[in-house]
Amino acid sequence: MTKYITKRILLAIVSIWIITLITFFTMNAIPGGPFNKEKATSAAVIATLEARYNLDKPLGEQYVLYMTNLLHGDWGISLHSGRDIWTDIWSRFQVSAKLGGRAAAVAIVIGIVLGSIAALTRNKLPDRLIVFFTTLGTAMPSFVLATLLLLVFCLKLSLIPVWSSSDPNYILPVIALSVYPMAYITRLTKTSMLDALNQDYVRTARAKGVSKVKVIFVHALRNALIPVITYVGPMVAYILTGSMVVENIFTIGGLGSVFVTSINNRDYPVIMAVTIFLAILMVIANLLTDIVYKLVDPRIKLD
Amino acid sequence: MKKIIATLLACAMVVSLAACGGNKDAKSGSENATASTTSTDTTTLRINLASEPGYLDPALNSSVDGACLAVNSFVGLYVYDENSQLQPALSDGEPEISEDGLTYTFKLIESKWSNGEELTANDFVYSWNRAVAPETAADYAYMFTPIATNDDGTLQVEAVDDYTLKVQLVSPCAYFLDLVAFPTYLPVYQKGVEEANPDGTTPGAWAQEAGFVSNGAFTLDTWNHEESMVYVKNPNYYRADDVKLEKLEFMLSADDTAIYAAYNAGDLDFADSVPTDEVGNLLDNPEFNIIDTLGTYYVCFNVGSKMFDGLTAEQAAEMRQALSLLIDRQYIVDTVGQTGQVPADTFIPDGMADGNGGVFEASDFGYYDATKTGAEKVEEAKALLEDCGYSFEDDGNGGYTISPALSVTYLTNSGTGHEAIAQCIQQDWGALGIEVNIETEEWNVFLEDRKAGNYDIARNGWIADFNDPINMLEMWLSGGGNNDTQLGTSNSAAAPKWDEYDALINQIYTETDFAKRVDLMRQAEDMLMETGAIVPIYYSNDIYLQKPNVKGVYASLNQNKYFMYAEKTAE
Repeated sequence: MTKYITKRILLAIVSIWIITLITFFTMNAIPGGPFNKEKATSAAVIATLEARYNLDKPLGEQYVLYMTNLLHGDWGISLHSGRDIWTDIWSRFQVSAKLGGRAAAVAIVIGIVLGSIAALTRNKLPDRLIVFFTTLGTAMPSFVLATLLLLVFCLKLSLIPVWSSSDPNYILPVIALSVYPMAYITRLTKTSMLDALNQDYVRTARAKGVSKVKVIFVHALRNALIPVITYVGPMVAYILTGSMVVENIFTIGGLGSVFVTSINNRDYPVIMAVTIFLAILMVIANLLTDIVYKLVDPRIKLD
Repeated sequence: MKKIIATLLACAMVVSLAACGGNKDAKSGSENATASTTSTDTTTLRINLASEPGYLDPALNSSVDGACLAVNSFVGLYVYDENSQLQPALSDGEPEISEDGLTYTFKLIESKWSNGEELTANDFVYSWNRAVAPETAADYAYMFTPIATNDDGTLQVEAVDDYTLKVQLVSPCAYFLDLVAFPTYLPVYQKGVEEANPDGTTPGAWAQEAGFVSNGAFTLDTWNHEESMVYVKNPNYYRADDVKLEKLEFMLSADDTAIYAAYNAGDLDFADSVPTDEVGNLLDNPEFNIIDTLGTYYVCFNVGSKMFDGLTAEQAAEMRQALSLLIDRQYIVDTVGQTGQVPADTFIPDGMADGNGGVFEASDFGYYDATKTGAEKVEEAKALLEDCGYSFEDDGNGGYTISPALSVTYLTNSGTGHEAIAQCIQQDWGALGIEVNIETEEWNVFLEDRKAGNYDIARNGWIADFNDPINMLEMWLSGGGNNDTQLGTSNSAAAPKWDEYDALINQIYTETDFAKRVDLMRQAEDMLMETGAIVPIYYSNDIYLQKPNVKGVYASLNQNKYFMYAEKTAE
C-alpha cells in the first residue's frame, strides 16, 4: 500500500507539472490582456504593472519565475485586485468546501438510501417514484433548479432570504448542488444493489439464516458501493471546489466564480493558482478513492 | 422490509437536516426573511451596486461601483450635492484663486480620520503625490495633469500650514473643482497605506480588508468577499450629525436574477441594476428611477479600415456620414434602450457644462435631426454614397442593391442590448443593400481588438469622468489610449489629417480665456463630427430601483451614488 501511494504521489507531481505547463502557455496564447479596460490605461502605467508582475519578460522566463516562486510557497498577487492569491483561494475554498461538503453528504447519504430502497422495492410504487424523481434530478440543470428554488422559497413563500449580510443561508444552495449527484448515486446504487442481491454470496447468507438487515447492509450494500465510490471520489472534489452558477445565484463567495472571473480578467497568476489547486484536489480525491476501494473490498489489488 | 426502509429514510432525513443547517444558518435566515419583508430596520440601508470591487483604494480604483464606495467612505475638498452641483466639503468655503487662475489656495476645515487623528493639508499633499507616483500605477493618474509638477515629478501642491493647501496649476483649468471632487483626489491615511506596503509593490494592500482608516461618512466594518460588505457610520465624519443611517450593507453580486429577486423579496432597498428583460415592465413603477448622466452611446469607425480603400479622406467622411444618417436612432431608443434615452445629434452630451458658466450644447443645436434619421434619410444617404462611387438599383422589394457590393463587419461585445443595437443597424444599412456581419467577441478580446483597430465598425460609449467637454474631446488625440477610431495614427490615404485636431486640443489645454476656450472646444467637436468617424446614437442615462421608504439617495452626473444623507422610514 505504501509503495503504491508513493508511486501515485510521484505520478501526481508529474501530472501537476504538466498541467502547469499547458495552462501557463495556453492562457498566455489566448487574446486579451490583464490590463484591458473600457477607459484605457496609459502605456506608462501598463509598463509599470508589467514590470511589477514580471509580464515584461519572455514567456519561458515568466514560467520559470512563477514555478520558482510557487515552490517557495508564493502563489503570487492578483493582477486584478492586488490581493495575495493564496489567502484569497484558501478563504474561498473554505466557503465552497463548507457548502460542497454539506451537498456531498446529502447526495451520498440520500443517494445510497434511495438507491437501496428502489432496489429493495423494485417495480413497486416507491421504486417508480424514485426513478421518476431521479430522472428529473439528472435532467434539470443546476441553474434552472437554483432559480426555481429562489422563486418558490424566497419570493413566493418568503421562507428564506435571497441575500443576507449576516449569514448566508445554505439550505437552498445545498439542495441545488446536491440534486444531480444524489440522483446519479441513487441510480448507480440501485443498479449495483440489484446486481449484488442476485449474487451467490447473498443467497448463501440468506440460506444460512443471516438476518435480512445484515444481508442487505453488510453483504449486499457493501459490495454495491464499489461503483458508487468510483463516482463519489471525483464528484466530491468537484463539488468542494464550488459551482459558479449556484454560488452566483445565492451570492456565496466560494471558489466557483474565481476561476471564471480570473479567465475573464486574464488574471494569469490566479488562473494558474486555481488550476493547480483544483488539480491537487482531484489527485487527492482519486487517491483516496483507490484507498477506500481497498477498504471496502480487500480483494482489490492496488498495485 | 418496511422496518429496513424506515431505518434508511430516517438516516437520510437526519443527514439532510444536519447538512442543510437546521441550526444557526436556518434560524438567521428565517429571522432575516421576516426583517426584510417588514423593513423594520430603518437604520440600515441594503444596497447592490455590483460584485466584488477590484480596489477600495480611491487612487487605484477605476470602476464606477468602486467610485461609489469611495465617495461614501472618503471625503475630499469638494463633493457633489443632490442637484449635481459642487459644494465645498473639507474646503472651508471656496478656494482663493489667483488672478492668473494658476494658484488655488484651499482653507481646510478641522476634520478627523475615522481613528480620531487630525486630517491636515499634508494628508492631501501625500495622497495626491502618491496617486501620481509611477510606482502606484494608478489608472487615473492623468487626472492630475492640470497640476504643475516639480523636476522630480511630484506635484506643486504645498501644505502652507496644517489647514491651508496651495495648488499650482499648469494653466487655468475651468473644471479644477470638478477634479477635486473626483475619487482619485480623495485623501488616504498615510500611516495605514505605508504600513501595508513596506516594499512598495502592493500599493492597494491597506484597503483590501475591512477596518482601514478613512474619513468619509461610513467606514468598512465587515467584508465577506463576493458576498457582502457592511459599512458603519463614522462618528468622526465632518457632518456626522447629518448622517441618519447607522449601516450600509452591500450585496456583492452581478447576477441580475439574484439582485432582482433580492430586491423583490425585500432583502435590498436599492438595486443599481435591473435585468434587461424587466425594464419594459418597470417603466411605470414608481420604484424604478431614471436619472440623467453625462455620457454618449456611439458607434465608431476605424478610419483605416479596408472599407475605405480607394477613397479620398473627404469621400470616406461622406461615406461614414451617409451610414450615420441611415441609423434610425429613435427606433433604437424606443425598442432597445427603452428608458427614455435622448437620440444623440452631437458627441458631447446634452447638459454638459462648457467650463464658462454655461451649457456646452445649445438645446436647438445638432449636427442632424436625430429623431429623423433612418428611413427619412435614405435618399440623402444614397446621394452621399453615390459621391463615393457607389450606384444603386431598385430591388423591387422597396430596397436597393448596391454596386460595387459593400460588406462590412460590426464588432460588438456580448450583451443583449449591444447585440440588439447591432441588429437594428444591420437592418437600417440593409435598406441600401449594404451587408453587415455582426461579430460578437468576449469583453476582453473586444477591448483589445477595438483598441488595436482590428475592426471596421464597433460599438462604443463614454461616461464623462468630469463635467467638461475636454474629457470627451481629448480622447481623440493621435495615439491617445481611447482613440479607437485610429484618427491620427492610421496610415490609410482615406484617413483624415489629424495634426490640426491635436494642435487644437493642446491650445484648449492652455487657453486662459474661458469664453474662447468654449469656441475652441466647439471647433474640436465640429472637426471630429466632420470626419464621421463617431456616430452618436443616444445620450446615456442611468437606472436604479429604490424602495419608496428610502429618501435622500442621490447621484452625480458621472454615476456616483451618494448614500450618506439617505433616510429610511418604516413602511
